[in-house]
Amino acid sequence: MSEETPAPIAAAREDGRHTLTEAEGKELLASAGIDTPSFAVCADADAAVDAAEDIGYPVVVKISSPAVTHKSDWAGGIGVAVGLDSADAVRDAADEILTTADERDIDADVLVEEAMDLDRGTEVIVGGIRDPSFGPVVLTGLGGVFTEIFEDTSHRIAPIDRAEARSAIEELQSLPLLEGYRGSEPADVDALADAIATVGDLVTEHPIAELDVNPVLATTDGVIALDALVVLEDH
Amino acid sequence: MVLSICASVTLTQMFEPSAVAVVGASKVEGKIGYEAMANAALFDGPVYPVNPSASGELFGSEFVSSVTDIDDDVDLALCCVPGPAVPDVLEECGEAGVGAVVLYSSGFAEAGDEGEELQETIVEIADEHGISLLGPNTSGFLVPARNLRCSFASGVEEIPAGNTAILAQSGGVAHTLAYQSRRQGRGISAMVGLGNRANVGFAETIEYFDADETTDAIVLHVEGTDDGRGLLEACRASDTPVIAYKVGQSDVGDFAESHTGALTGDHELYTAGFAQYGTPTVDATDDLMDAAAALGDCPTPDGPNVGVVTAQAGPGIIITDRIQRAGGRLPKLSESTQERVDEILPGVTYADNPVDTGRPMPEFGEIVTAVAEDDRIDIVLVYELFEEALGLPVEDLDGLAERVGKPVLFATEGIEETLAEEREALEAAGVPTFATPERAADAAGTLARYAQLQADQPATDGGTAPTASDAAEQEVSADE
Repeated sequence: MSEETPAPIAAAREDGRHTLTEAEGKELLASAGIDTPSFAVCADADAAVDAAEDIGYPVVVKISSPAVTHKSDWAGGIGVAVGLDSADAVRDAADEILTTADERDIDADVLVEEAMDLDRGTEVIVGGIRDPSFGPVVLTGLGGVFTEIFEDTSHRIAPIDRAEARSAIEELQSLPLLEGYRGSEPADVDALADAIATVGDLVTEHPIAELDVNPVLATTDGVIALDALVVLEDH
Repeated sequence: MVLSICASVTLTQMFEPSAVAVVGASKVEGKIGYEAMANAALFDGPVYPVNPSASGELFGSEFVSSVTDIDDDVDLALCCVPGPAVPDVLEECGEAGVGAVVLYSSGFAEAGDEGEELQETIVEIADEHGISLLGPNTSGFLVPARNLRCSFASGVEEIPAGNTAILAQSGGVAHTLAYQSRRQGRGISAMVGLGNRANVGFAETIEYFDADETTDAIVLHVEGTDDGRGLLEACRASDTPVIAYKVGQSDVGDFAESHTGALTGDHELYTAGFAQYGTPTVDATDDLMDAAAALGDCPTPDGPNVGVVTAQAGPGIIITDRIQRAGGRLPKLSESTQERVDEILPGVTYADNPVDTGRPMPEFGEIVTAVAEDDRIDIVLVYELFEEALGLPVEDLDGLAERVGKPVLFATEGIEETLAEEREALEAAGVPTFATPERAADAAGTLARYAQLQADQPATDGGTAPTASDAAEQEVSADE
């Protein structure tokens, strides 16, 4: 374990939480060198609109609360609002989330985030977990049906270097989708390998029980972590 | 690690004892105490039957009532008493300076909470006295070269000495592999049934047999262990080739939920981990022993390129197809080799890879030599139906593998009684033989995977020397 506890982990510990918010998770990833979309955590609708103006439209507005880990399932689907391209749209989405959270007695902010064009790349899952027998391990696979239906994932015992991470990617049956097919641009596989190795390092160096980056958008000029779920160990 | 130093000392007492005690030895045929004593009595050194309620002799040795009464350096005790009596026996062993104990009895960690408590108790006693415990819940171990047959199973006296160490989580599988080895005309340096692995597990035994000079290959049967990382690290640290058979593929995560925990099944981690740590895996007991013969009896291949020579097209096609699925590659032979083959056999049926001579012939051995000497080839596999008038090309293949520094495998078929002598001569000449084209191809595939996995291993000399490709990568990524 590294001596210095990263701020997002320290913050969660201080609150007695095991789960980091998405914003904390992304801060952790960003501090380790993994790109994330621009984002801001806002306490009210006015701040959300200001943040959206700063980031530039379109944006995504999501609930940000330690109490809500499955944001898109929350409150009938209002927890994640995508493709917002005006101040009014941002204000409405933020208001609805904050009002509903209030009604449900949940401490919540909203996360305003740069909208990413998913067609720019391929959605990939990168995860790390502390296994009782093997210790820190990492996995990768293409998101959606490829992991869920075809079980096309590959695993490594962490920590690993870029070459080992590359070999994990190259094992995937869905590799051709990353290499570019039917004229699509090939993804930056080295950047993806670095992200996998970094997730392995994070789980190795910090008291993390599970770290899910799902999805990572693998594009031709780098990878971007679009979501982050970090669960800490008990102590 | 202090524990590992301690374990290696007492493991020497386990596998190289000067004297052995059989605690709970019995005159009643069929009891474990009788069967274990019957097998142990074959040992070249003294073997003492211990039983406070017995008198007289058993297999030529006088009964004693406790290990503490034996006036000799007893290193190893075979414990045939039921679980609840084990703690007292261990205390006595500790007092007597016994360094290693085999616990045959069941009723420990595999049998609920009470058993688990009992196991904790005996591990405490063993650790206190620095005793290595094999088991409990095992059928024991064999070291045939020392006539050390510490198993209660029948027939173990027939298992021949060889150069493969069998380390199996299950005593039953350990014996299955040992008997197979005999049936295949091979042999073992040791067979160890690890059982509950109270304080002797995979890591300790891999380290021990890696250092054992009579062991050239180590095979593992793994059901599951709570120190998977320790197992992998021991595999990586072993200079002796290790091949693993991990059982239990059906344990997979619930893929309906797409998060890391659910996507990470036990079996995936073992399979990926073994590969990452340089250990090829196989999916059958036969494959395990075949791979051990190929890796243990041959020079280590430098790469995955297999050159196939066959006297019959059909088996050659089976081999060609199978090798590629098993992880090998079939490169084209160099032009000079093709010319050489053509000179030896003008009008040969097929002069590339595989070389098909069409039928056995006196020049067959020369052809194999030509292929073995091709720089593009790392592994040679030969198939030939046995032709009584020609025999097998023993003379040509004698020492070939050593000379070219590549494995040469040979599969043949025919009337067993007629070909046995020639096949044994081939084995004696350093060429492992296989009974079917598939098994030979699978063994070649494992050799190929071993070569590739080893090439991918990080530098072991402190990890300070990056390889050429690492350095190249660092230059490319210097701006990051």
